[in-house]
Amino acid sequence: MSALVCALAPLLLAGVLGPAGAGKLFGRGVARQAPRTALARLLRDGRRAAPALRVLGAAELLLAAALPASPATPFPGVAAALLGAAFLGYLGYARAAAPGSSCGCTARQDAPPTWRAFARAAVVLAGGIAAALAQQPWWDAAARRPAAASCLVLAAAAVLTGLTADVDRRWRMPLRRLRLRIAGHPLAGTAASAAVPLAATVELLERSRAWQSASRVVRSALLDHWDDDGWRILQFAGVYGGGAAARPVLVLFAVDAAASLDTVDEPAVRVSVIDADSGAPVMAPA
Amino acid sequence: MSAYRTGGPLDRRRFLTAAALRGATVIGTGVVGTGALGAGVLGTGVVGATALGAVDADAAFAAPIRPLDPAVAESAFAEGRITGIDHDVLRVAGSYGDHFRVRVTGATSVWKARATTAADIETGDGLYARGVPLPDGTLAADAVWVNIVNLHATIRGIEKARLHLAHGQHEIVGNLMPERTSASYGGASPTADLSRLTIGQSAQVLGAWRPSDGSVDLVRVAVAPAAGSRR
Repeated sequence: MSALVCALAPLLLAGVLGPAGAGKLFGRGVARQAPRTALARLLRDGRRAAPALRVLGAAELLLAAALPASPATPFPGVAAALLGAAFLGYLGYARAAAPGSSCGCTARQDAPPTWRAFARAAVVLAGGIAAALAQQPWWDAAARRPAAASCLVLAAAAVLTGLTADVDRRWRMPLRRLRLRIAGHPLAGTAASAAVPLAATVELLERSRAWQSASRVVRSALLDHWDDDGWRILQFAGVYGGGAAARPVLVLFAVDAAASLDTVDEPAVRVSVIDADSGAPVMAPA
Repeated sequence: MSAYRTGGPLDRRRFLTAAALRGATVIGTGVVGTGALGAGVLGTGVVGATALGAVDADAAFAAPIRPLDPAVAESAFAEGRITGIDHDVLRVAGSYGDHFRVRVTGATSVWKARATTAADIETGDGLYARGVPLPDGTLAADAVWVNIVNLHATIRGIEKARLHLAHGQHEIVGNLMPERTSASYGGASPTADLSRLTIGQSAQVLGAWRPSDGSVDLVRVAVAPAAGSRR
């Protein structure tokens, strides 16, 4: 099995390095993103980061082509292992020196290095070592044990996809959409809900004449609310009167619990102000 | 002692319900001329506000306003993580290395996914407070918004109890609160109907961050109307 892994390693490495290299070499966003990567800090010049990323991309593409094409020599494998080790060192530096900046690992993400980036670099290091130790070309090994080789390639592809965050984003959304289409909308049950949310009642209240007439007294956000017999009672704290005569009051509004701005043009709101200590009505608003 | 305080919470609510239903009925929307309750109070028609400004959740993101009462000092702000609570004073470590002491009083409006009391505030919570600086160096808060988040996000997944949201490069889990989370479609009134949310929609999300797991309790999800849908 380990011989098969070593033999197939060049192929799998090419699958990792090829897309990453192409992204760096041909990506349209590289010039824009490069100055924000930790590489710019390492090179101490934001302008040098983009060409450096392009060169790195070209090297990765070259390796991706050389690895599966020349299994007889260990050099591409050794080069890939060195690249993986260098990536690991760079990621460690990025994490320590510029934790907020992008690692530029795939040149597509504007995100700081995560464990996925470290795992990818470790895969490149391990894959490079395996490729350097390969005893036979990958096509011979695959022809000898086609079933095991296909399983291995599929499993490796799944793991590598899981390690690539931006690919992860690409497959997760369509999968979730498909699940919604097949299993139905998980929140479909809320469509039948006739209950008017509190936010809608507050919105209706805040646009009502009752609120405007009482707003000079109100001194708090909504403090309490409850439904009673079709009414929704909303309780606010307030201050009535000024100077020495000022006293704390409760401002109570009663609004139709089933009404919202979408259903009612002229809401009828009852408003009363009572003394916060005695509970006696302070006044009857006009 | 008043009648509404002697009984249990239900008796109190019953008392207040009766008081509320005894109140005057005012019909209609639109601007009223002279306030009916004008006698010597602060402010000139700012809704749901203290002398320092509005106190609902959206006010946390509004530009600071000048105090309405000339006797009230200019409002001051504090934000950061709560590192400790001494009775009614919250010790806050600001995001920029600064430190605040925020005094919460019985008159302070506290928001933590809903209007609540200072008892709900915990060490480790994020805080945004508005108030008046006192001579002892504390900030007397008129309003405190705990863990409040308001962000533009994209809906990337919908489940029974949560939404997956993308905010820039960050994946955020938004917890749906039964009977609490509301949705607003294309500027229409908030509704309990969440079935019109779709994957890929842009949404304005108001909620409260949970420090324990970094998720957000969703209070309001406002999305643009779907193409071809009715308002």
